[in-house]
Amino acid sequence: MGLLPDFILDYIDVSTFWTILMIVHGLLAVALLGALTHQAMSVLAPVRQVAGSSGIVTRFRAVQGAGYAAAVCVLWVVTFFFGAWIYTKYRMYVRIPIEQQGFWKTQGVFELKEHLAVIGLGLLPIYWLLWKDVRNPDYASARKWLTVVLAGMVWFMFLVGHIVNNVRGFGS
Amino acid sequence: MSTTTDVRSTAQPSSLATSTAFRTFAVVTGLATTVIYVICEMQNWPLFTYHPGTNRVDWFYSPAVRDQGPAMYWYGWIATTLIGAPILGILAMLLPERITKKIPLSLVWIFPLAAVPVLIYALRFFWRW
Repeated sequence: MGLLPDFILDYIDVSTFWTILMIVHGLLAVALLGALTHQAMSVLAPVRQVAGSSGIVTRFRAVQGAGYAAAVCVLWVVTFFFGAWIYTKYRMYVRIPIEQQGFWKTQGVFELKEHLAVIGLGLLPIYWLLWKDVRNPDYASARKWLTVVLAGMVWFMFLVGHIVNNVRGFGS
Repeated sequence: MSTTTDVRSTAQPSSLATSTAFRTFAVVTGLATTVIYVICEMQNWPLFTYHPGTNRVDWFYSPAVRDQGPAMYWYGWIATTLIGAPILGILAMLLPERITKKIPLSLVWIFPLAAVPVLIYALRFFWRW
């Protein structure tokens, strides 16, 4: 059944419990995706000065990236925690049917998603440092490209999560 | 459009953020996480194995038991990595600053990118038609 505290079953059924966890994981992922995308845009196409009536794209990339760093770290950790929790359920009730149906590539990209999530977790200390000392010119390039790499990871993980959910997620 | 990074923060960096020792720890931990995790995945070196069907945990690698569901190694790889990488980061803090300063910061984003094709290769079992 996976890592499910028994007392929770006094209040909700098993399916509801895992569905709530999955929704929370998904919502946290959306927040992480938004934060890192804003930040990546702010370093790839920085706005020097927002004047008058700027368009939505300009406003999207006109954020103060440094203000997102701590939130991104917390969101990554919490999203990872929920993902790792759901993983027990996934391994028993999602992966096995996916394999039985022969969706090998779907399974493969999901494995890659897991790997990237862990690697990103280990990069959070240096990511945080690079954004917290923004006046250090030596950090500018590494900050920019590490942010872009992490944003790319999150986009990949988000889309793969959706694909796997489409293959065998809610209601299956 | 300017091509320079505009972070536009007026906040003073914290003492931790300006600490050379923490910089060394963070850089080495980041690099070591990528390397150790890829090795763990390719060599299958989990610190423990979790059997979700029976909620049993075994130290290190343990194969799945017949009729008791699959064995999960991912948690064990994470444990190996998240213990090993910070230890290397702490050990690196003991090195002289003249050595640790020479570690190129660009490696922190190059290593994860370089790990992707390696991991794709490691997952070749799944790329079948």
